[in-house]
Amino acid sequence: MAHLDDFEGLTPAWCPGCGNFAIKKAFKEAMVELGLEPHQITIVSGIGQSGKFPHYVRCNTFNGLHGRTLPVATGLRLANHGMPVLAFAGDGDCYGEGGNHLIHAMRRNISVKLFVHDNQIYGLTKGQASPTTAEGTVMKIQPFGVQSEPLNPLALAVALDCSFVARGFAGDGDHLKGLIKEAMDHRGFSLLDILQPCVTFNKVNTYDWYKTRCYHIEPDYNPENRVQAFEKALEFGDRIPIGILYRNHRHTYEDGIPMIKETPLVKQPFDLSAMKGILEEFY
Amino acid sequence: MKKQLMSGNAALGEAAVLSGCTCYFGYPITPQNELTEYMAKRMPEVPGGTFIQSESEIAAINMVLGASVAGARAMTSSSSPGMSLKQEGISYLAADELPAVIINMVRGGPGMGNISPAQSDYLQATRGGGHGDYRTIVLAPSSVQELADAVPVAFDLADSYRNPVIILGDGMLGQMMEPVSFDHIRQEKVYPKDYILTGAKGRPARKIHSLLFDTKLEEEHNWKLFRKYKGMEQNEVRFETFLVDDAEMVVIAYGTSARIAKGAIRRLRQENLKVGLIRPITLWPFPTNIIRETATRVKDFFVFEMSTGQLIEDVRLALEGRGHIHFYGRPGGVIPTPVELFRIVSRHYYQSQQVKK
Repeated sequence: MAHLDDFEGLTPAWCPGCGNFAIKKAFKEAMVELGLEPHQITIVSGIGQSGKFPHYVRCNTFNGLHGRTLPVATGLRLANHGMPVLAFAGDGDCYGEGGNHLIHAMRRNISVKLFVHDNQIYGLTKGQASPTTAEGTVMKIQPFGVQSEPLNPLALAVALDCSFVARGFAGDGDHLKGLIKEAMDHRGFSLLDILQPCVTFNKVNTYDWYKTRCYHIEPDYNPENRVQAFEKALEFGDRIPIGILYRNHRHTYEDGIPMIKETPLVKQPFDLSAMKGILEEFY
Repeated sequence: MKKQLMSGNAALGEAAVLSGCTCYFGYPITPQNELTEYMAKRMPEVPGGTFIQSESEIAAINMVLGASVAGARAMTSSSSPGMSLKQEGISYLAADELPAVIINMVRGGPGMGNISPAQSDYLQATRGGGHGDYRTIVLAPSSVQELADAVPVAFDLADSYRNPVIILGDGMLGQMMEPVSFDHIRQEKVYPKDYILTGAKGRPARKIHSLLFDTKLEEEHNWKLFRKYKGMEQNEVRFETFLVDDAEMVVIAYGTSARIAKGAIRRLRQENLKVGLIRPITLWPFPTNIIRETATRVKDFFVFEMSTGQLIEDVRLALEGRGHIHFYGRPGGVIPTPVELFRIVSRHYYQSQQVKK
């Protein structure tokens, strides 16, 4: 049985007060409560402050290129679907640079658990608007305000029939921990968008800003109703729902590959003699 | 000449605006963010000026393609990892013979590397970088003033050859602040753009594409590009020499390395070591002839670059076995100091003297 300290990695270089600390805490607690140990999981990340996440926790780590988190996680998962594969990305990383990959990962329903540190800004490059920054927001390189509609990742996910769609808030740690556990337990692709205040560069979407808006989705809400889920996903303004918005039971991408049904690819014996008949046929 | 104190990144932006750049598209990446920031603030003051923070580097280079097809002076910038992403667009710009200026403020690589200055994208820049048989002119400034000077030259070269032009700087040049003047930048020459898409009223429609299924047509297109590149090789080589006349050893370095080399050479000269410098300003076309000419008199060449050895390949090709090549390189975002280079060069210099005796 692992302890919280077993998941401790390098000392974070995030700013004091960064919402990422709360995500890290919730993650560690969730892993311990799920009975997982650091060597059993792999975390893939890209670039941004979120990209540093797997450095700061103990696990198998692959920190790759900006925006390419999900293709790497897909490859990992197909080679070894016996191992939980988690992807940590940011709003710039996953909704901007890697937006195309997100769409196709949701379509495939590969069992990758995607956790998006959504702070509505580019923090690593010191404060440019991200795909989720609200229209009109004045930022470092948007001196006249953002001119595009913000991306609504959850509405996008519901529209694509993503099999698990949820939103958490870094300022509500216990609730976030519960969502991480639900995302991990789900069979299929999970998207957990985590609202995470950037205390240094985002002076609009602060802890207070989120706290006055975020509310827990009602207990009688049915997350399996897609149309209702889409309506819920459109709610982002004076009130922001947090919790599980949508869930379905589509078959996973791994389910559709007969060769790995019984045994993950990496655990299968490599036996060249199995090829003998084919080789002889051609030579 | 009125001068102002500016970072290299900001100077690139102002020079682009004064050179008539009306379309700039970029994506955040360190260490070139100040250029994107500058353009965000400055572009709206320019008649017709357009700035977009794109969703990715690939989007940015393709926005440049679109703006160039429509006839605008268009520019994008990035740093090494983002530059890799732009390569498919640069290949298309070259194939479609469209002008564009692309700035790469190089950082340590490969992969994500770090955000410190490096010169490890030399081969990518000088060999085309993307797929296919093509070349881009590559300018390598070595001060903030030279960054500003390179921009109007880059736009003019891009328009006159209808080809993408790369400005290859690095994180140090981008971040450092120096006095810079823009007084000399004027848009004098008008380039007839009889290829751009402006509507087809009263004339046949123009079609810009690089898809040539007929192998004979594709071959002919490649030979046409080849002849254009040969013209660049003949007419566009730029370089600087420094204390070469009496030199017994000649350092070859560009950009930031050349600055460091100059500092080292001044010290070497104080010790009466006869060392000079050839600084390629165009990395492609490469100043092969000056190196070859110098080799009739000088036997020892010292390649110095912030990589494990990329420029050295072009020096080898230029020398074709003449002379002896010494090398010092430091990769990974490390900036060698003039004193460090002074020590290394002087050791090589004395050892060469021993051999000659």
